[in-house]
Amino acid sequence: MISCTEFIWVYSELFRYLDERGGKDEVFAFWKGISDNFLGNLREYIRTEGLKGMHKYWTHTLGEEGGRSILTLYDDTFIIDMHDCPSARLVHQSGRVAPYESYCEHCRHLYPPLIREYGYEVDYDVISCEKGRCRMTVKRPPGAVTPDAPARASDS
Amino acid sequence: MANVHKDFHGALSYGIEYLHERSGDEGVRAFFSGLAGTVYRPLVEDLRKRGLPALREHWQRIFDLEGGVIAFEMQGDALVLTVHRCPAIAHMREQGYAIAPNFCEHTRIVNDAICKAAGYAASVEYNQVEGRCVQRFWKAAS
Repeated sequence: MISCTEFIWVYSELFRYLDERGGKDEVFAFWKGISDNFLGNLREYIRTEGLKGMHKYWTHTLGEEGGRSILTLYDDTFIIDMHDCPSARLVHQSGRVAPYESYCEHCRHLYPPLIREYGYEVDYDVISCEKGRCRMTVKRPPGAVTPDAPARASDS
Repeated sequence: MANVHKDFHGALSYGIEYLHERSGDEGVRAFFSGLAGTVYRPLVEDLRKRGLPALREHWQRIFDLEGGVIAFEMQGDALVLTVHRCPAIAHMREQGYAIAPNFCEHTRIVNDAICKAAGYAASVEYNQVEGRCVQRFWKAAS
């Protein structure tokens, strides 16, 4: 059994393996596959609670994964400020594997497209992959119909 | 203490399915065999240097972290690891994740690759549905 504590290295190696055989498009296809097929629990959190659901999801996952981050929830905005990404740290600082050059891009492919499906605007900015710093900002645009701001009967 | 996020087992399972869909059994074998030279290189070196106690300590640490139920015994010169409750299978079932039909094969492939690189051999008999397996490790004939 590959332990979940070893998974991040395996993940990075899998990205490299796919890239070497099929190029970036193959890696992107894999990331899209994860987003479409594996993130059902995140979808459920968003579908039922919108921005609050995102806050709950990442509070749980980042709580288990470790690292240092600040999650901010406003009425219309959810922000992850990642100061020390636990997975980027393992890939870039452990010396266990040669870091896959686009490792941090997987988050850009996994999360923003999925969240946009629910009517939100998403910005994802990698500040430093080597240092594990990034920010994801999710906003509910004014007047947008989202799970936490459904259309009123009088609007339809 | 290492951070334990068991949802990664589900992501690994999806990765296995993806690899299998794209490149079949050979692709799965090629990828997981390669991990002996990268992710598991420290374990290979430890096994080569210290022998079976290195493997036993590795498994004990991993299964303790993840809450697996296991037992060890020596049968002659072979170390036998019996997994009564696999934490990966248990977590994926509890969370309702799809489990790749060939999920447990990665254990066989990775164990074989690690052992071969260190001058050892391995076997595994598993019941994926029940989340149980018996793994054996012994020094290969030189």
